[in-house]
Amino acid sequence: MSSSTHNDGGPSVPDVRERLDRVTDPELDESIVELGYVDDITPRGSTVDVTFSLPTAWCSPAFAWMMAVDARDEVESLPSVETATVTLRDHMHDSEITEGVNARASFASTFPDADGDVASIRASLDDKARVGRQFEALNALVDAGLTDRQIVELRREDLSLDDGAVFVRDGSVGISVDREPLAEYVEKVEATGLVETGSDVLFRTPEGDPISPDEFDLVHKRSRLANVNMTGQGNICDALNEARFDPDRPETYGPDGEES
Amino acid sequence: MYYQDGEEIFVIDGHVHLWDAREENIIHEGGEEFIQCFYDYHTGFTPEEREWDLDEYRYYGPDRMTEDLFGNAAADMAVFQPTYLTDFYDEGFNTIDQNAELAEEYPERFVLNGAFDPRDGEAGMRDLERQKEEYDIQGVKVYTAEWKGDSKGWRLDSDEAFEFLEKCADLGIDKIHAHKGPTIRPLNRDAFDVADIDDAASSFPDLDFVVEHVGLPRLDDFCWIAAQEPNVYGGLAVAAPMAQNRPRKFGEIMGELLFWLGEDRIIFGSDYALWNPDWLVETVMNAELTDEQKDEYGIELSPDVMKKIMGENVADLYDIDIEAKKEQFRSDDVTEEFGLGDHYGAPDATAD
Repeated sequence: MSSSTHNDGGPSVPDVRERLDRVTDPELDESIVELGYVDDITPRGSTVDVTFSLPTAWCSPAFAWMMAVDARDEVESLPSVETATVTLRDHMHDSEITEGVNARASFASTFPDADGDVASIRASLDDKARVGRQFEALNALVDAGLTDRQIVELRREDLSLDDGAVFVRDGSVGISVDREPLAEYVEKVEATGLVETGSDVLFRTPEGDPISPDEFDLVHKRSRLANVNMTGQGNICDALNEARFDPDRPETYGPDGEES
Repeated sequence: MYYQDGEEIFVIDGHVHLWDAREENIIHEGGEEFIQCFYDYHTGFTPEEREWDLDEYRYYGPDRMTEDLFGNAAADMAVFQPTYLTDFYDEGFNTIDQNAELAEEYPERFVLNGAFDPRDGEAGMRDLERQKEEYDIQGVKVYTAEWKGDSKGWRLDSDEAFEFLEKCADLGIDKIHAHKGPTIRPLNRDAFDVADIDDAASSFPDLDFVVEHVGLPRLDDFCWIAAQEPNVYGGLAVAAPMAQNRPRKFGEIMGELLFWLGEDRIIFGSDYALWNPDWLVETVMNAELTDEQKDEYGIELSPDVMKKIMGENVADLYDIDIEAKKEQFRSDDVTEEFGLGDHYGAPDATAD
C-alpha cells in the first residue's frame, strides 16, 4: 500500500497528517485531525489536496477560514510540498472559502459584509486558548511541588522544554515536570506575544498581567473556567451535528413554502 | 412539584415560550432557518422517545403547552420570555400579546414578561409603557441578536439601550432577561457577546440581569462578570439538557456556576418548547457530579441547592410566595383540569 501514500519524492499521507495535526479548531483549541474534520489527503507529486468538513454547516465563516488557511500553510511547510489546495465541504460558505483560500485572497475581500477582521478574531481566540492551556500547565507545576510564589515568579528561561525541567531558587534547583502541558502553554503564550524574551514572566492573568502570589488561586480558577468553556462549546457542536445528519431529519420549507 | 426522597421541590420554569413558526407566519427565510436550528437543538438533546415531529414543533398552541408544563406537574409555574423576531415572522415568533392569551387564562401559574428593543425609539418607549399598563409586567426579555431592517443586532451598553433601562427602572420593571447564548442560525454570533452586560449591570444596580443560557459559549466571560456584579444571574436554559447526553460537561458547568455565582443566582429554565420540562426536570434533578468534580469544586448538588435552582431563586426575584402557591394549587383551574388534587396534598382537615 505504500505506493498509494508515497510518490516521486512527494510527501506521504502520514507526513501531511502530522502537519495537519498542528492545526487547531480555534474555538475548541483541539487538533482538526483529532476532531475528525479531515476527510481526505491526496498527494499528487509536489501538490497535496486536503478536504475537510466541520460539524456544523453554519460554523463561523471566520473560524472555517482560519482552519483552511492554517491547513494550507502547515502542509506547504513540508519541504517536499510546493502547493497545497484545501477544500471545505458541507458548509454554508464552502465554495467562497475554498476558492478564496486557494486563490490566496483575503478574508475581508471574500466576505465584505463580515464584522471584524480575521486577525482580531484569531487574536481573541488565541488568548482564550492561552488561558485554557495555562490551567493544565499550572496543574503540572503544582503536582511537581512548586509553591504558588515560585510558579508566579517563573520566567521563560527557567523552563527547559527539552528535558521537562523547571529551575527555581535562582536556577540552583531543577525540578522535573510533566513536559507536554508546559510545551503547549508556551506555544500559545508566545503566539499571543505575551512572552517574547527569556526574562519575561511566564504566567499571566487572563488580562495578560503578571500574577501576584496572593491572586494565584483566583487566576488558577479562572484558567480552569476558560478550559471548561472551550470544551463545552464542542459538546454543543457535537449534538447539533448528530441532529443535522440524522437520516430521519424532516424536510424543510423554503421561503416560498415549497419543500426543499 | 417534583418529589425526591420525600422532599418537595417546587419548580418554576424560568424560561418558556408560546411560539408560532407555521409556514403562513414566516415572511423571511431567516424565520425558517431559525426554527430549523431550534429543531436541531431539540433533536440533538432530547431523548429519542420524547422527540416531537417538526410540524407539531412549529406550533403547539396554548392547550398543548398547558398540558406539557403542568399536566403531569413537571412544573408548578412558568415565566414567559417573549422573542419577537418580527422581521422573520408576520405576527412575531412569540410576543407578549400572544403569550398573554395563556397567561391571562391561568394568571396564578404564569409570570408574563415583556420586551423592548432600543432601535424602536419613541414608539418602543410607548409600547413599553403599554406593556406595563396592560399586563403589569415586572420583567423584560431582550434579544440583542434580533434583526431589524439593515441592523443585525444591538448592545445593552449603548446610549439608546440605557434610555430604555432607565425607563424600565422608572416603570418598576426591574428584571432584565438577556438572551446570551449559543449561535442560532441565521443570527450573527457576535451579537450574543456577553460583554455588554458588564456595564449595564454596574450602571443599573437596582435592576437584576438574568443572562439566559449562561452566556454559552462564553461561560468564562459570563462567570467573571457575574462574580463581580451581584445583580447578575445565570439562566440554565440550553445548559440544562446537557444533563441528559453530556452529564460530565453539565457537572463541570454547574461546578463553575456554583463557584463563581453561588447557589442563589442560578435559575432553571426549560426554554419550552425547545425541550419539555417533564423529562428535563427529572434529568436535572438526578444529575450527579463525578467524585473528581466534587473534589475539584467542593460542591454537591444537594436537595437544598437544587430547591433554590429549580424554583426558590426565581420566586425571590419575582416575589412569589411558594407556600401560598402550594395552598392555592390544591384547587386552582390547572389542578382541576388535570386532576392534580392529590399531588398538592389534601387540605389540612383541621383548617376551616
